[in-house]
Amino acid sequence: MAVPKRKNDISVYTGNQLVDRRQELLDRITKSDTNLPESIMHDDLDLGMLDFVKNNFKVISNGEQVSVIPKILTIQRWGEFTNTWDFADLDGNAKLPFIGVIRRPDVQPGTNPITQRTIPDRRTFYYASVPTWDGAQMGADVYKIPQPTAIDISYDVTIVCTQFRDLNKFNKTVLQKFSSRQAYTTVKGHYIPIILDSIEDNSPVELDTRRFYIQNYKFTLLGFIIDDEEFEVKPAVSRLFLMNEFMTDKGVEKKYINKDIDLTVAKFSSDGNQTQFSVGESIGILFNVMINGVIQERDLDFYHVSGTSKISFPQPPAENDQIVVTYYKGRNSVFIDNFGKPIQVVKEYFTYDGSTLDFTVQNVINSVVTFDVNGLTYDENSGVWQKISDTTLRITDEMFIGATIGINYLY
Amino acid sequence: MENKLPITRMSKFFGQEDFDLQIQIGQEYLHGDINMKLVLYRVDRDGTDTDAVYAEVGKDQIKFFPPIEFNALVKIEAPKNSSYKSGVVRYNEPGNMTLSVYIHHLKELGVELRYGDFIGYPETEEKVRYYTVSNDGLVTSDNAHNMFGYKPYYRTITCVPAQEVEFRGI
Repeated sequence: MAVPKRKNDISVYTGNQLVDRRQELLDRITKSDTNLPESIMHDDLDLGMLDFVKNNFKVISNGEQVSVIPKILTIQRWGEFTNTWDFADLDGNAKLPFIGVIRRPDVQPGTNPITQRTIPDRRTFYYASVPTWDGAQMGADVYKIPQPTAIDISYDVTIVCTQFRDLNKFNKTVLQKFSSRQAYTTVKGHYIPIILDSIEDNSPVELDTRRFYIQNYKFTLLGFIIDDEEFEVKPAVSRLFLMNEFMTDKGVEKKYINKDIDLTVAKFSSDGNQTQFSVGESIGILFNVMINGVIQERDLDFYHVSGTSKISFPQPPAENDQIVVTYYKGRNSVFIDNFGKPIQVVKEYFTYDGSTLDFTVQNVINSVVTFDVNGLTYDENSGVWQKISDTTLRITDEMFIGATIGINYLY
Repeated sequence: MENKLPITRMSKFFGQEDFDLQIQIGQEYLHGDINMKLVLYRVDRDGTDTDAVYAEVGKDQIKFFPPIEFNALVKIEAPKNSSYKSGVVRYNEPGNMTLSVYIHHLKELGVELRYGDFIGYPETEEKVRYYTVSNDGLVTSDNAHNMFGYKPYYRTITCVPAQEVEFRGI
């Protein structure tokens, strides 16, 4: 039997949906004024669990909502008393039915999947660069944070009641909520998973004692702690240099030529003295550097250290020369588009024979990075060439026979 | 008509007249001198609508016959300090109440006291504690409940504290 055909290139998310969603998640956790995520400690996670129970486990019994003890109960007697007096009887006992959340004191090493791969020694990692201004000098601070520490916290959510129907309602509510493996609570913008471990009945149903049902629902919250005591804020190394960059009126001008992969073209205007130009961010892959449209040769006409933001010339370009840097800013030089699809770059050369106007490249063109004739580049609006299909470019202007045409493109 | 079998055991020493006299003296003491009064709330088992599956009723859904005051000897156990969950969510469990009531007294009142009925015992002028019958003491065949081996004369009724959701007075 033939293997059914499968479509293996399905774009589930279109456009910049994933980028937007990632940004949205980032915004949720950095709502404070510090440019850093807020601390998440044990008490925050406990509060998240308590809110989860209050908001999701609502049971109506005899026309009234079953009371939830508003705090997590500990060994302090007076604290327990103050949290149950709202629904206490004349003996000071909590009226049935009610729901309580009890945390087990022991907190275990975490099993949260997102932090199972741990980095030793509490090493801190780059989180953000934040501009600073001390009144005289502009600079930036680098914010670094360590990997969050995963912890598992166990809770018993207990319902005490006198009617079987209340048990059924509560059970239905919990099991529907946990029909997937886990449900989520939100702690300071972070989604924290909760897993239902087991359900047990501890009802003391005896003849000559007061009768009621007690059922325990055991949950594990797969949390993590973020301690702001471990955050590092250090001045950026190139603070003074950054000031020079931003003070000049011949600053960088950028445009994106391919939204899918954030391909950037940065333009500078030379002042005749400057030999070093920075695009303000790490250059992952450098495609080319042009002066007045002429492609420059690396390590001859200019220098660039991989991963840095600077382009250096041995001699300053002439005043008002237009310097154009085309690059991909991927932090790790991983060249993939926003859908996770690998993108490759290639340059193909053709010789103009005086008759052939169409030049067909070997791959389907994603984006044309540069089109040059004998090293002089022309953009698509120059009227020199146009793209007539996914693989073919057509010359639309006169040129010398024997001219070398270079097409640098993504596929 | 039910058969009646005369009790003639120990007739040389103790008979019906002696039995009645003893009960009369006891009631004089219990009802007259001690005068411990309670209120019996008998559940109307036929008139109460119960859940079709679990035979439960909701709060304040039980129907009762008219309350009846009766006398009994009352013993209440000490309260117990307990918790619902591993020492947390503590509650002070009132002790059980044990009643000793003359069978003759119940017959005079024309009531039957059954498992699951409710009994109110006024602890103070303001506070009535309610109990539910966990043992109605209908079986009185043991020596303790028989007067000198002649005939049973009182019932021991065990009650456990009722929760407000079960019963809170009429």
